[in-house]
Amino acid sequence: MPKIAIDPITRIEGHMRVEAQVEGGKVKDAWVSGTMWRGIELIVKNRDPREVWAFLSRICGV
Amino acid sequence: MRAVENALGITIPDNARIIRNLISGIQYVQDHVVHFYHLHALDWVDIVSALKADPTKTASIAQSLSDWPNASPGYFKTVQGKIKALVDSGQLGIFANGYWGHPAYKLPPEVNLLAVAHYLEALEWQRDVIRMHALLGAKNPHPQTYLVGGMSVPVDPNSQNALNAGSLAFMKSLAKKALDFVEKVYIPDLLAIASFYKEWAGIGGGVGNFISCGEFQKDNQSNTINCWLPAGFIRNRNLSKVEPIDHMKVTEDAAHAWYKYSDGDDKAKHPWMGETAPNYTGPKPPYEFLDTSKKYTWVKGIRYDGLATEVGPLSRMLIAYASEHKRIKEVTDGVLKKLQVGPEALFSTLGRTAARGIETLVTAEMLPIWIDELAGKMKGGDLRIHSGEKWDPSTWPKEAKGYGFHEAPRGFLCHWVVIKDGLVANYQCVVPGGWNSSPRDAKGQRGPYEEALINTPLADPNKPLEILRTIHSYDPCMACAIHVVDPQRRELVKVRAL
Repeated sequence: MPKIAIDPITRIEGHMRVEAQVEGGKVKDAWVSGTMWRGIELIVKNRDPREVWAFLSRICGV
Repeated sequence: MRAVENALGITIPDNARIIRNLISGIQYVQDHVVHFYHLHALDWVDIVSALKADPTKTASIAQSLSDWPNASPGYFKTVQGKIKALVDSGQLGIFANGYWGHPAYKLPPEVNLLAVAHYLEALEWQRDVIRMHALLGAKNPHPQTYLVGGMSVPVDPNSQNALNAGSLAFMKSLAKKALDFVEKVYIPDLLAIASFYKEWAGIGGGVGNFISCGEFQKDNQSNTINCWLPAGFIRNRNLSKVEPIDHMKVTEDAAHAWYKYSDGDDKAKHPWMGETAPNYTGPKPPYEFLDTSKKYTWVKGIRYDGLATEVGPLSRMLIAYASEHKRIKEVTDGVLKKLQVGPEALFSTLGRTAARGIETLVTAEMLPIWIDELAGKMKGGDLRIHSGEKWDPSTWPKEAKGYGFHEAPRGFLCHWVVIKDGLVANYQCVVPGGWNSSPRDAKGQRGPYEEALINTPLADPNKPLEILRTIHSYDPCMACAIHVVDPQRRELVKVRAL
């Protein structure tokens, strides 16, 4: 059973990988992997809650 | 911010609420158009095929779709010339490495040329309309004028240094420009392209559970209960019942994600109890394949009521449709009628892409109404923009917990905060891309993308264009802004076939 991997998926925000098992010209099973770590929760720990929005909004521009 | 406001019991003033609605509203409109033309269209539009088009025929198609002025044969000939120069240069730039000529591309060359012309126009358009963020948020992306308790952008009709009548008039002109393009270019293109790909109304349905927390608040509470776009949960495609949502039903496990939980990775934890301890156990790159029977992603197994759940425009439009939202029902029924399909077609890759267009149109229609609402407040002498009563930490309880809901363009976003002794003790974000790209959970249930890919036909497994169509229909956002890119790893799309 052929297995394919697309890494990275382009025209998206961020980094992502898809692995798929193909059978008879169709996707039989699929796995999606986020290939970057965010960890922004750790950056805002022990900070003043009035300022954390400015850090957190940097997770994503959209 | 809503999480902190919720934890501290802060209610924002009307003007702050309206400005937040406008910032989000123009962002939906700009972001969805950029997604359609620049991130998604090339899954359906073969840019190289546009070279074979007869510009006169493209012009008559364009004129039949709307009265958008850029529709002459000469205009499309110029666009074709630009594409030809690019292809002849041998350096396709951002268009390099596409699957041009792939058998799954179905559009006639003339429609391809039309779409490429609008791809280029949309680039100019989006740069202009998002200037509303410059006015209200100081910049884009990442507007800077948010403030716990309100906004920091002053409103004052008598000041040159505040939002005044002049800035409102300018925003009105931007809102008109936004709506014109959506009505006369985006929606006609979407319908024209969709009519060639109707089989995609039966592909890519996904998990069938949909959630929205509601957005565009009508009151100033720190939750999103009373909104223009309603909140709700749809279970297993059942449009006859919209369940109310409860943030306590949101959980995350780390069964297949590279994190370590102190009390077992399989445990589905509510984010107030959430942990963020990275634990990479995957292969050392470069590798061929991940061991997907174990941990295989940085995204946790996010579930609602134990179920993998889709978020985004399709979820919002389905919940609004099923809640009898008048305008959304009207526009959605119009789109379904035009494509000659029933509501079940919405549960698909095509439905997801159509729902984004519907949402763009109805949101663009609201922008001038919200600008008038702000103008009305200012005219009535209400210039309040911030509630400062609870700004000073001495007014806070020793310990507080809050949650903040927001419907980002890409879907349901929730932040949870625990505040102790004036500082953040725990913070967890569950973001739209996380919901949709979540992996298998401890029970082995697939995440939304994974489920949606099952039975996707592939004309050529070495060129999996069809996988991209479904993945892109969700508009993935894998939490982008903070990370380091290793130049060695910046490869183009690489497909490995065994």
